[in-house]
Amino acid sequence: MNDMTNNPVEVLGIDAGGTMTDTFFVRADGEFVVGKAQSDVDEPKAVMESSVDALAHWGLTVEEVYPQMVTCVFSGTAMLNRVVGRKGLRTGLIVSKGFEDFHRMGRAIQCYLGYAFEDRLHLNTHRYDEPLVHIHDTRGVTERVDSKGGVVFPVRLDEAREAAEELIDQGVQAIVISFLSSYLNGEHERAVRDVVLEVVKQKGVNVPVFASVDYYPVRKETHRTNTTILEAYAAEPSRRILSSLSDRMKEVGAQYDVRVMASHGGTISWKAKELARSLVSGPIGGVIGAKYLAEQLGIDNIACSDIGGTSFDMALIVKGQFAMHQDGDMARLVLSLPLVAMDTIGAGAGSFVRIDPYSNSIKLGPDSAGYRVGTCWPEGGVDTVSVTDCHIILGYLNPDNFLGGILELDVPRARQCVQDQIATPLGMALEDAAAGVIELLDLSLRQHLRAMISAKGYSPSDFVCFSYGGGGPVHAYGYTMGLGFKETIIPAWAAGFSAFGCATADFEYRYDKSTDIGITQESTVAEKLAAVTTLQTAWDELTEKVLEEFRINGFTPDQVTLTPGYRMQYLGQLNDLEMNSPLASVSKAEDWDNLVAEFDLTYARVYADAARSPELGFGITGAILRGSVVTKKPSIPSEPDAGPTPPAEAFIGTRPFYFKRKWVEAKLYKMESLKPGNRITGPAVIESDATTYVVPTGFETWLDGHRLYHLIEV
Amino acid sequence: MSTYSKKQVADLVKGDLDWDTVHLMLSMPKDGDRYKLYMEVLQDNVDYDDKILLAMGPHLNVVERTSDKEIVVKCDCGHDFGDYRKNWKLGALIYVRDNVEKMEQIYPAIMAPDTSWQVYREYYCPSCGIQHDVEAPTPWYPVMHDIQPDLKTFFEWLGMPAPAKI
Repeated sequence: MNDMTNNPVEVLGIDAGGTMTDTFFVRADGEFVVGKAQSDVDEPKAVMESSVDALAHWGLTVEEVYPQMVTCVFSGTAMLNRVVGRKGLRTGLIVSKGFEDFHRMGRAIQCYLGYAFEDRLHLNTHRYDEPLVHIHDTRGVTERVDSKGGVVFPVRLDEAREAAEELIDQGVQAIVISFLSSYLNGEHERAVRDVVLEVVKQKGVNVPVFASVDYYPVRKETHRTNTTILEAYAAEPSRRILSSLSDRMKEVGAQYDVRVMASHGGTISWKAKELARSLVSGPIGGVIGAKYLAEQLGIDNIACSDIGGTSFDMALIVKGQFAMHQDGDMARLVLSLPLVAMDTIGAGAGSFVRIDPYSNSIKLGPDSAGYRVGTCWPEGGVDTVSVTDCHIILGYLNPDNFLGGILELDVPRARQCVQDQIATPLGMALEDAAAGVIELLDLSLRQHLRAMISAKGYSPSDFVCFSYGGGGPVHAYGYTMGLGFKETIIPAWAAGFSAFGCATADFEYRYDKSTDIGITQESTVAEKLAAVTTLQTAWDELTEKVLEEFRINGFTPDQVTLTPGYRMQYLGQLNDLEMNSPLASVSKAEDWDNLVAEFDLTYARVYADAARSPELGFGITGAILRGSVVTKKPSIPSEPDAGPTPPAEAFIGTRPFYFKRKWVEAKLYKMESLKPGNRITGPAVIESDATTYVVPTGFETWLDGHRLYHLIEV
Repeated sequence: MSTYSKKQVADLVKGDLDWDTVHLMLSMPKDGDRYKLYMEVLQDNVDYDDKILLAMGPHLNVVERTSDKEIVVKCDCGHDFGDYRKNWKLGALIYVRDNVEKMEQIYPAIMAPDTSWQVYREYYCPSCGIQHDVEAPTPWYPVMHDIQPDLKTFFEWLGMPAPAKI
């Protein structure tokens, strides 16, 4: 297996979650191994342990493999946890005088962001989190720029100097500057930034300074300020950790630069200026992986579904593109970060199950057992039944090989708990109660999936559903049943799919800038010319930033592919659409018509021809510039067809399996031993250490040459 | 159904319970023994033996008087405001903030209401001096009767035997 010369290990994807750190190594021929290790405060240590675990499958060591690898992508939850736990750097904030309180007041939506739907309606659960910056570490400086970018009050730099001195004396470890309307005119912020840098130098302290205009020059000051604060508060410490991870890897011979997954769907270097973009990356990895896989397979429309222990994440890929949200939110903060559009619900394979005493009905979540599994694992200390308990009781999961057998499960205890907490109160038989829980979860996931697709005006019959995540293969039949997808595809590496996805992402920077351009039917040629000039100026500014990021990583401008884009709307509408520019640059009034034509086409595709409203005129709300360089990506495995009959060694026995109110004997197969072309009719359960794939009665599955399982309702 | 310990309920009353637990308590159906635990916690906070039936405020309870089984309103200090169907405020010490000087003890100048439109009426326990309530009415408005508990229905809801003298 370890043919190192012809088949070097080239790609490493790392997914450092809250409980487990997964590594995903890919060989040049597309073969891969997945490693697991318990996450650790010392992240580099967990990555190394996980790597050792993965490479052991190939009988290789990190010292042999790291020097030959060409690319490594990291995604992790440490930065997010730092924000959620309010354990970031003590940060000072300088704002326009008179607006010292806007950060701690926040936006109203922040008091219920991230809540389950019931809790959004339930006003007394609404709550504002602690602000990232304390009011005592906030200073106002007299200045004002109006909504057109004109200076109303000149900036008083003596106040800025005094503010910086006080903040540093108070012990802040970083300073953020964010003024009203600075995205239109950044002069005041830049002047204050330079004064603060002078003070830092005079005092001889190591306090990094972040002006919002240098990072996120976009409208909406709460979003912009939150994002710039995160750059100081949360991303600075991550820079240090990633630097030490990079050092640790270099020690064992690594030649590559570690990259991190960013919210816009590309990867960026750990040295990037805008590292806060990597705050949330885990679930995005799956969408990027699905897009890549779809390109390889020639599929246009994909419904991505990722079910883990605590949540169900959905995203749509239409005509090979995923949608972007301009103002993503994370950790209950509104942010100015473009984010791959996803819908998430807080129900997962490990959700807790309770009976509502008033309606006498089953209630799932919103909390979940997480790594504590459920009542079937007494050492986990959980007394409340989880969905996993129901799966164990009904024979969906193998109690003797749970997570590869590292946990010893107590099935009688789980049975007793489900009996006492669910079955008896509902007056049902144990099996029916447990099956009811699973049906309810599947139904709820199915409805959300259907709603997400139909709400955007599509029909499931136009989509192929990709199902991945630790719980994907267990639930895929349940949440796709009857929806009418073209087909449902489950990768054999479903559990490591997010890490795989990260490894397939482009090395890509993206910068955004807000613009206020409006052209109506009455506008003159000169006005159109002014509009394209404004757009081109914004692109030029962003280009410089993108090239600077690549320069930090040793790439010259000629190696970088630049893709300009813009956000356009019919004037007066609230929402805009993002698209790539049909022109590499704009300079003439006629170029405006090209931009408009592209928008009209996109609008008709997303909504409908009849919904187009050109009579309103057109506005450009933002300029976007993406730059990418070519990277090595994992190749999809390709194996010869071995016919429909599974090899004898793949069959490992049978197990009682409860489905549609009766016990049947399900055939058990070892996932790794199945060959392309093999066809299996349910009831069957296909097991590997990290994943269990359930094919109930009425379903059939076959494995293709790319190690993808196709699930078919028969 | 969730279950919580007496310590958690005591922390909830004190305001010391962690937000995640409070959030779960708010979102989930109420646990079966919450009333019992809540009353135990309140009872632990007072020196009198009269049985607490319901909280009326942070330091004010409806209790069943041990001596004669009458239901009365009591301060934590034991001060007896009398029959629970009468407005306990009528037995309290009342301080009215009805001019600029008194308002400026609370708010900076010009940030308080005009006292010809609105006054503050503060209600204190005549025995221990704790503040039980503050009203912000127009100057001529009668003393407000905030709550008249329907104890009979309340105990039906709880599914518990009601006190004799309801």
